[in-house]
Amino acid sequence: MAEETKNLDDAETLERASLLDLFIAFLKIGVTSFGGASRPMMHRESVERHRWLREKDFLAGFAIAQVLPGANPVNLALYIGLRARGAVGATIAVLGMVIPAFIVIMIMGFAYRELTGFPATHMVLAGLAASGVAATIATGIKMATRLDRNIMTLVIFLIVFFVVGILHWPMVPVVIVAIPASFAAAWYTDKEARNGR
Amino acid sequence: MDDNNRLLGLILVFVPLSLLSFGGGQAVVADIQHQTVGVWGWLTGQQFSDVYGISRAAPGPSTLIAALIGYQVAGFTGAVVATLAIYIPSSIVVSTVASWWQKHPDSRLKRSFERGLAPVAIGLVFAGALAVIEAGPMTWFTLATTVICCGVLYFTKTSPYWLVIIVGLIFLGFSFGGLHV
Repeated sequence: MAEETKNLDDAETLERASLLDLFIAFLKIGVTSFGGASRPMMHRESVERHRWLREKDFLAGFAIAQVLPGANPVNLALYIGLRARGAVGATIAVLGMVIPAFIVIMIMGFAYRELTGFPATHMVLAGLAASGVAATIATGIKMATRLDRNIMTLVIFLIVFFVVGILHWPMVPVVIVAIPASFAAAWYTDKEARNGR
Repeated sequence: MDDNNRLLGLILVFVPLSLLSFGGGQAVVADIQHQTVGVWGWLTGQQFSDVYGISRAAPGPSTLIAALIGYQVAGFTGAVVATLAIYIPSSIVVSTVASWWQKHPDSRLKRSFERGLAPVAIGLVFAGALAVIEAGPMTWFTLATTVICCGVLYFTKTSPYWLVIIVGLIFLGFSFGGLHV
């Protein structure tokens, strides 16, 4: 296992991606990533099958994709494309990733327009929304259990939920205030910096 | 409202949300609901709930709900405009920050940013869940479905995607049996 990892981090074995290969790889991922299984597929295509980037670059890209704004799989595709072939590569990777899902969702949107007169349509969609929101809540609970155990974190979480969720304040100004405040709280409670002093 | 105004409106709604969509589409669902139903009046609560349901059963990232809303608001052009508006701004941020980020593997700045972002993002995720529930039919039947699904997803390793599809089929069955929410 250690040897394998070392091998995947070897810069010597990297290959230059052709734009066509890049597009085909991400089109494949876009077509098959129903239900969000795209991360392992992206790893296989970009690190194992092709050698477009090193293992550790992939892991760094994964962290960046999660932390920065935007959908995580799309961000990761963008990052891989960027590392492989610069801005053009990034555009091609994102297009390959998004186009199949975009086509499917357009067909669904069209079907919705045509079928909106039938009560069954709204019944099915009520089921999708009720279970879809459950997925959001379950993810939220799992994320919340991993939060730092301190009072500022809890207060910021509750305030953001209250003013956006209950009071319906517009999100943009709320987030513009909340993120610097939350960042400052995290900065001053940073354990390693404290221990260093 | 003519079509150009509608396209401009889509850009005004989705560009700022793109820059703030930390953690992906779920974080901005609350504001998408407030803006499209409340502020701009493009969709009814029922339509928003329907569109959200479609986006959860569709493949691809959850941010593609923007495409569906764009389609409802201004047809296929609206779908393309809304999709570009939700992806381009965040993509520019990722491209710009990516190289800097990798050169500073473990700085206090990055750690604090990651830790500081978490409570804000989770607050928004729950606000989004509430916005969807409020927009929908909100009967005992849908609420019970949400609670049960939430338990299943939290305590088992069921894939959310397949659970959503299965519940959709169950509701279709109920519909043919004459039950409606």
